[in-house]
Amino acid sequence: MRAEVLKGHLDGLLLATLAEGPRHGYAIKEALRTGSGGRFDLPTGTVYPALHRLERAGLIHGSWSTVNGRRRRSYALTAAGRRTLSDERSSWREFSAAVTALLGERPWPAAT
Amino acid sequence: MAGRNLSDSASSDAVADYLAAVTAKLAVPAAARVAITDELRDGLLEALEAHQGRGCAQAQATAAAIAEFGDPATVAAAFGPELGAVQARRVALGLLVTGPLVGLTWIAAVAVNALPPWRHQLIGPWLALPLVGVALALAGPALALTVATTGRLSRFVHRATLPLTAATVAALAAVVADLTLLGIITGYALTNSESYVWAPVVFAAGASLTRVTVAGRAARRCLAIRAALT
Repeated sequence: MRAEVLKGHLDGLLLATLAEGPRHGYAIKEALRTGSGGRFDLPTGTVYPALHRLERAGLIHGSWSTVNGRRRRSYALTAAGRRTLSDERSSWREFSAAVTALLGERPWPAAT
Repeated sequence: MAGRNLSDSASSDAVADYLAAVTAKLAVPAAARVAITDELRDGLLEALEAHQGRGCAQAQATAAAIAEFGDPATVAAAFGPELGAVQARRVALGLLVTGPLVGLTWIAAVAVNALPPWRHQLIGPWLALPLVGVALALAGPALALTVATTGRLSRFVHRATLPLTAATVAALAAVVADLTLLGIITGYALTNSESYVWAPVVFAAGASLTRVTVAGRAARRCLAIRAALT
C-alpha cells in the first residue's frame, strides 16, 4: 500500500508505533508493516521525511546515539505527541464506527 | 546479525552509492546532509541485517535492503517538502533576528546625525521612506505565516510551497527595505553638504548591504526549492 493511500492517517500511525517506547526509523517502518499484517509496506526511505516533519511539529523528539559503531537516530513521543495520538485514536474510533454502521453487512432500517 | 559490519566491499559500495544518489538530490547544508546520510545508512544496514537474518547472502540482502528503501529519486522527493519547510523557517528566523538589529543601526544613524526623519521631516530622498514601511508591512505577516506554517501548525498545512512562498516574500521585502534605505542615504549624502558622523551611517549601510546579499540569496534558494516541488 502506497503512502498516498495512507494520506491523512500516516501521522497517527507513525505516532502509534511510538506509543510503547522509542524506536529508530527502520524499526518504525517495520512496526507499521508488521502491525498492519504487511498491508502498510512503505518504501523505507520515505518514512524518514515524515518523521522529520513530526519532529518539527513537536510531536516526537529525536536523539542520536551510537549503536554498533554507527550513528542512530531514535524517536520518542513528546507530551504533545501523546495528546495528538489520543485525539487521533478518538477520531478514528468515531469515524470507523460510523463507516461500519453504514457499510457493515446489516439490514438497513426500513424507510417510513 | 545486529552489529555486523559490511564485510563485502561490493555491498559497502552499493550502500554508499545509494546514499550518495539520494543525498545528491537534496539541497541542504553540509551538516544536514551528514545527519540524513547517517540516519539513512543506519536504516539501510538494519534492513540489510534483517534480510541476512532471514537467510540471504550479503549481496542479496544488500539488493533487497536498497529495493526496500525505494528508488533514490522517490526518497529524495519525499524529503523535498520537509527540507523546503526547514529552509523557509531558517530564512524567517534569520530575518526576525536581523530585522530589529538592522533597524536599530539605521535609527542610530538617523538620530546621531539628526537627519530629516529625526526632525519629523520627509524631504528630498527621504520622501521614499514610506516604501520601507510598505516593505515591512509585507514582511511582518509573511514572516508570521512562515513561522506558523513551519512549526506546530505544520501538520495542517497541505501546500508544501506555502512557507517557501511566504519566506520568499519576506526576504524580498527585506531587500526592498534595505535598498530603499541605501538609496535614500546615498542620495541625501550626495545632495547635502552637511558634516556627518559617518561611523553609524557606515555601520547601518554595511548591515543593510550584508542583509541584501544574504536575503537575496535566501530568496533565490527558496524559489529554487519551491520550483522543484511544483
